Amino acid sequence: MKSFFQRNIRMPLFAALLIITATCVVRAQDPRIQLASLDHLAAKASQTVDVSIDERLMKIAATMLSDDGDEKAVKKLITGLKGIYVKNFEFEADGQYTAADLESIRTQLRTPAWTRMVNVNSRKEGAFEVYLMLTGEKVSGLAVLHSDAKELTVVNIVGPINLEKLTQLEGQLGIPDLGIEPQKPKTKNEEK
Amino acid sequence: MKDDYLWDKSGEPDPDIQKLEEILGSLRYQPQPLEIPEDLRISRRQRNYVPLLAIAATVVVALLAGIIWLSVRKKEAPQELRATAPMIPAPANKKVNVTTGDKKDPVPPRPAEKVARNPKPRNRAYTSVAKKREREEALAAKEQVLFALRLASEKLNLAQRKIQSTPPANQIKNQHRTG
Repeated sequence: MKSFFQRNIRMPLFAALLIITATCVVRAQDPRIQLASLDHLAAKASQTVDVSIDERLMKIAATMLSDDGDEKAVKKLITGLKGIYVKNFEFEADGQYTAADLESIRTQLRTPAWTRMVNVNSRKEGAFEVYLMLTGEKVSGLAVLHSDAKELTVVNIVGPINLEKLTQLEGQLGIPDLGIEPQKPKTKNEEK
Repeated sequence: MKDDYLWDKSGEPDPDIQKLEEILGSLRYQPQPLEIPEDLRISRRQRNYVPLLAIAATVVVALLAGIIWLSVRKKEAPQELRATAPMIPAPANKKVNVTTGDKKDPVPPRPAEKVARNPKPRNRAYTSVAKKREREEALAAKEQVLFALRLASEKLNLAQRKIQSTPPANQIKNQHRTG
């Protein structure tokens, strides 16, 4: 004779486990990365930029973008995006953040859903890492990590993004240059 | 002959009646506890708990949904205020917090924003304030989006340039001397 557990609880329990497993799988494929682990760096930083725009604000912002010029391109670019999250810390001294801080972000990007497309290390300009989350052939998430001796930047774009158009935005939109472009050596004519 | 014996057993009994009494006396009712045979005993019916469990689960789910809905509503209300936060980029050596999502903003809301928090518009003055606030929120969101895209674009371009300027690792190795 079957017990009460076997008859009545077993099936709902399996169903609950199935739901929990499915939730975990979906969460692992979430293109949004958690950046809260970097919040403590704000106290050490000389300048902090923390941008957190969800889907609702993205739609509101789109309504303010005009349908001509550069803003048209931006409007097209952000259509369908579900969020943009940026954390940028600039420090006055070296070694203000630890490898563990970076590791907390990298751990989230080591899941099979993410693919590291770029990994460049430079003594002068630090390390660049670009991760993409691909759904089929489309990009469903982007993460950029830039770690310098005195700077740490994490950019996370959630949703379908056109990388080509995104890279073309540099120098447009009338936003002042952030001053991160490397200086070019002066030519002889300029020196004169 | 009197018939009193039939009524209250007084008087002279009839021999026929006495005989009948003797014959039927063995079948007289004798009080004793009821004994049901083992094979006829009906087993105790077990209660079915499934409907009770289903009701309890429904109630729990409804309560959880209510709690989540309330918490989401509470979160959304401060978001409307935070959208009017000062814009980036900020002057050097100052912390800029343009969080508009689910983080707590340390900056206290301005008095005008408190007025606009009432969800039910009552007069025209309120409507104009709300519209102004919505416009400010939209402008702030736009500036943030532009800044974030600009930053992402700059970082991607910088990474791209670094890749292009970095020679492949085996470039020299694969070269052969000529002449």
